[in-house]
Amino acid sequence: MADKKVLVVDDEIHIVHVVAIKLRNNGFEVISADNGAEGLKLALAEKPDIIVTDYQMPVMTGLELVEKLRQNESTRDTPVVMLTARSFAIPQQQQDDLRISGCLSKPFSPKELLGNIEDILYQKQLIADD
Amino acid sequence: MLIAVERSKKAGVVVLKLGRSLYAIVALIVACTLLIGTLAEGQDSGTEEGWYFAGPVQRASVALGCGVVVAMGVIWLGWYWFRLAGAVASIARLFKEDQGHEGDTGPSVLGLLKLTEIDALRKVVGEYLEGRAARASEQTNQIKDLRIQIQLSQKREKNTEAIIYSIRDAVIVIDEYDKLLMANEAAGRLFDFDVRRSQHRPLSELIGRDRSQFAEFLSHSRKSRNQATRREIEFSEQGERRVHDCIVSCVYDQNQQVCGVVAVLHDITREKQIQQMKNDFVSHVSHELKTPLASITAYSEMLVDGEADDESTRREFCSVIQNQAQRLNRLIEDILNTSRIESGLIKVNKELVSLTMLIEEQLQMIRSYAEEKSIQVVGQKPIVFDRVYVDRDMMSQVIVNLLSNAVKYTSSGGSVKIETAVDEVASLVRVTVVDTGVGIPEDEIGHVFDKFYRVGANKKQAKGTGLGLNLVKEIVEKVHDGRVFVTSQVGVGSTFGFELPLATRESAPIA
Repeated sequence: MADKKVLVVDDEIHIVHVVAIKLRNNGFEVISADNGAEGLKLALAEKPDIIVTDYQMPVMTGLELVEKLRQNESTRDTPVVMLTARSFAIPQQQQDDLRISGCLSKPFSPKELLGNIEDILYQKQLIADD
Repeated sequence: MLIAVERSKKAGVVVLKLGRSLYAIVALIVACTLLIGTLAEGQDSGTEEGWYFAGPVQRASVALGCGVVVAMGVIWLGWYWFRLAGAVASIARLFKEDQGHEGDTGPSVLGLLKLTEIDALRKVVGEYLEGRAARASEQTNQIKDLRIQIQLSQKREKNTEAIIYSIRDAVIVIDEYDKLLMANEAAGRLFDFDVRRSQHRPLSELIGRDRSQFAEFLSHSRKSRNQATRREIEFSEQGERRVHDCIVSCVYDQNQQVCGVVAVLHDITREKQIQQMKNDFVSHVSHELKTPLASITAYSEMLVDGEADDESTRREFCSVIQNQAQRLNRLIEDILNTSRIESGLIKVNKELVSLTMLIEEQLQMIRSYAEEKSIQVVGQKPIVFDRVYVDRDMMSQVIVNLLSNAVKYTSSGGSVKIETAVDEVASLVRVTVVDTGVGIPEDEIGHVFDKFYRVGANKKQAKGTGLGLNLVKEIVEKVHDGRVFVTSQVGVGSTFGFELPLATRESAPIA
């Protein structure tokens, strides 16, 4: 997965930091943003293979970010993993509509997040190979 | 009873007429007797002048005439006596009947020929009149009682109406045809109709088409004969959506048939807003608690898994865990302190404190946070005497909350300034925190110190629980008898502050 680029979007600098270390230690290239608007700019410019985003962020929320991504041709199919610290889960229907690949509740395990990212990218690769 | 009185009246009239006739007959008999007697004396004087045999013959005829007249008079008298006695006896019978002596027919006509019977009759009439007087008196008292009861009833009705009219909730009563029977002023205001001119008009006409769901609800409740039903109904009031808790009860008549419906509408908009704020609070608190917890969990897992390669990285991870644990603790303290102050269970340790020194201590903490956002924090000038008698920890929290709030809602490159001023005349210290942040809209500024309240326009600017400013207000006003204040202008910045009573110079040395 050394050639895979991950965009991490979270306003909590410590979360971005720890996720970046975990992914870099496992061969990913990591870019980061601290709000949805910045994340959108980076996603359009850098075209990452997968995006990990927090749900609740200032300026633009994680959901708003995914909606914008789905409206753009270049990011329409980019897989998204959502991190959420809210007391309720994102409804399955909404996840399906926005094609959110996975949801992880905070506090989360970096190992679990890594496993999720690898699974999603592997499936994406399989579909592309077909 | 009325029949008896009527009869007695008729009988009285008959007796009166008979009495008058009897007087006339007696007077006639006496007059006839005197006339015949006079004629007899005149004839007697003629015999003295030579008519020797004529005297006895004339006297005999006169005597006969007198006898006939007297006899006729006696017969007439007897006949009238019987008629009179009959009338009197019938009166007696009427009285007896009126008094309830069904079997007793009273004195007979013959019986009344005796004086004792007449005396008995007088007694009967006397008793009757006494009874009538007693009954009349009783009836007068009953009428008085009834009048008092009517007055009481009218008073009670007015009181009930006054109570219903003074109820803040809207009260509406409709009949079995869904027409308005009664409504109070609150109902008139809610549905915009004149309560005094709207009686007996169909409710659906009065309340307007956009509120027809309410009329339908009442109509349905009446038809279903439910004793009580409840529903939340939303109305638009002066452009604002308001929620009402509507309780509807059927009114039953003596035959247990529904003859109307009473509806009470209680405005629960504020309760709904508070409920929503509580839900938001749970959501925010959950997020706020989970965020530092997420860092602690992730960094500790990385340490355990040996992801930190060198000593420097391990220290960095441990430092993050420590800071996030402290953040978590502060948040929990905020929540608990709010709850403790509200319930009055918090332990307050007041001491003499210099506000200048306290602010300087807290500025050290906040500066690192401000530097991350490239915000300049300006401290205050030294003040000669600004001692206050406060709980040091609580007042530290007030200053930290105000400063961190100012930094949170100020964009990079902005500034936050904290100042204290002593008002010797008013004997108080005033602390102000001025920022160049996003500002607060005018319509929301009155709520910023409310529990769980977060300025709608600024929610995206930063995360929060809506507890920080509420805690500031509670600590300053409830615990220290001070006052909080705020002024703001959107796009320019905000000024938050508080005033505390100045400690006296005779107080103990500074702690």
